[in-house]
Amino acid sequence: MKRILAAGIIAGGIAAAVGWIVAAPDPLPASALGAHAANVENGKRLYTAAGCLSCHLPAKDDTEADVSLPSGGRALKTPAGVFYPPNITPDATGIGGWTGIQFVNAVKGGISPQNTHYLPAFPYTSYARMTNSDVLDIKAYMDTLKPVQASNRQPDLPLGLPAETVMRRGLGIWKIAAGFGPVEFARDASRDEVWNRGAYLVRGPGHCGECHTPRNWAMALDASRWLAGGPHPEGAGKVPSLRNLKARKRFKDAKDLATALEFGETLGYDKMSSGGMAAVQTNMSKLPAEDRLAIATYLMSLE
Amino acid sequence: MYSRLVSSSRTAVIGLTAVMALSTTAFAGPIDDRQAAMKNVGKAMGALAAIAKKEAPFDAGVVNSNATALADNVKAAKDHFPEGSATGDKETWAKAEIWQNKADFDAKADKAVEAAMAMAAVTAEADFGAALGALGNACKACHTDYRRPKQ
Repeated sequence: MKRILAAGIIAGGIAAAVGWIVAAPDPLPASALGAHAANVENGKRLYTAAGCLSCHLPAKDDTEADVSLPSGGRALKTPAGVFYPPNITPDATGIGGWTGIQFVNAVKGGISPQNTHYLPAFPYTSYARMTNSDVLDIKAYMDTLKPVQASNRQPDLPLGLPAETVMRRGLGIWKIAAGFGPVEFARDASRDEVWNRGAYLVRGPGHCGECHTPRNWAMALDASRWLAGGPHPEGAGKVPSLRNLKARKRFKDAKDLATALEFGETLGYDKMSSGGMAAVQTNMSKLPAEDRLAIATYLMSLE
Repeated sequence: MYSRLVSSSRTAVIGLTAVMALSTTAFAGPIDDRQAAMKNVGKAMGALAAIAKKEAPFDAGVVNSNATALADNVKAAKDHFPEGSATGDKETWAKAEIWQNKADFDAKADKAVEAAMAMAAVTAEADFGAALGALGNACKACHTDYRRPKQ
């Protein structure tokens, strides 16, 4: 009996140790990046498409903060807790001084420069599909923003879970359970450039699937129901499906959807404001017309 | 006898119809009332958007009648958000935040009414786009904060 107990304790210890090691962040080395000539204009375009500012806004009660800068702190309510997206302006309290590889590991791998896991409320699960070149361009653009000094706030996790431990290892287990791996977008050779550009923007920077795709038991996106809609992450109502938009007469054609993304309610598209879509539509209105048409072309092709 | 029976039953039918009509208007409840008003807002906005999208010609008369209807219906809808109507016997997309920030909600609704009245005064096609932009942004501002997506 004692021997069984001892064996159990040893086995448990080994499992915990293996888990601790397996769940450790595994960042890319600096050598993974080749030479990069930054394109700030492209960075701004993708920063907008990715909606960085929409989540990294200053806290609502911080009336003195400049809401055009991503100094962070505004509460983001999700079923997994309340998060306070951090300061991502180029200040020492933000992303000031980060290297290119640190930024790429953060955005595409969900790994901080302190080698901890980020909570997946930060949609690195989608951003992982971006090219390194685009991610570095986003950094180049963000480095041109005015630095704001702002302290960061730990999340309120359910059951009083300790954020430190969760971020050091717990999320590593989640990444494995959710099947997360930084896999870049692969273009579909059977489709044209416009469709592929749209697919890239929707699946990668646009991170549309984070809300429009239902999640499975592991809180990972259910790929078999890609963009098929689901419960709203804030709790009330549903996020609509983006499939069969034409057959369901939601939009006439890609041009109609592109117009909806550009103008929203200004042209009577009255579903484009609810549930957080207003901020998305505002971002979309700032993209070049060709990107909106590409997004619409891809979405209208989904059946 | 027969004719009296017919006439009395006719009176009964008329009376019943009157009660039914009354119940669908006065007793329908705030959720029905505001949704009916907002449906009219949507219809009017659709007519204005069609002009902007060049699906219909610019016609000052059409603009005026739709903008006026829009203003009247937003005003009507605004009056049907009494305390306690965040839930009801049918689905409502009204967020609880309406009653937490009632003054802001009312101000946003008033802004939409103002924008609609400004639109009603538009007679030149050159002024139409800007008026529609202001009106659409007023709709968006209120829906962003106070309307949740459907169930």
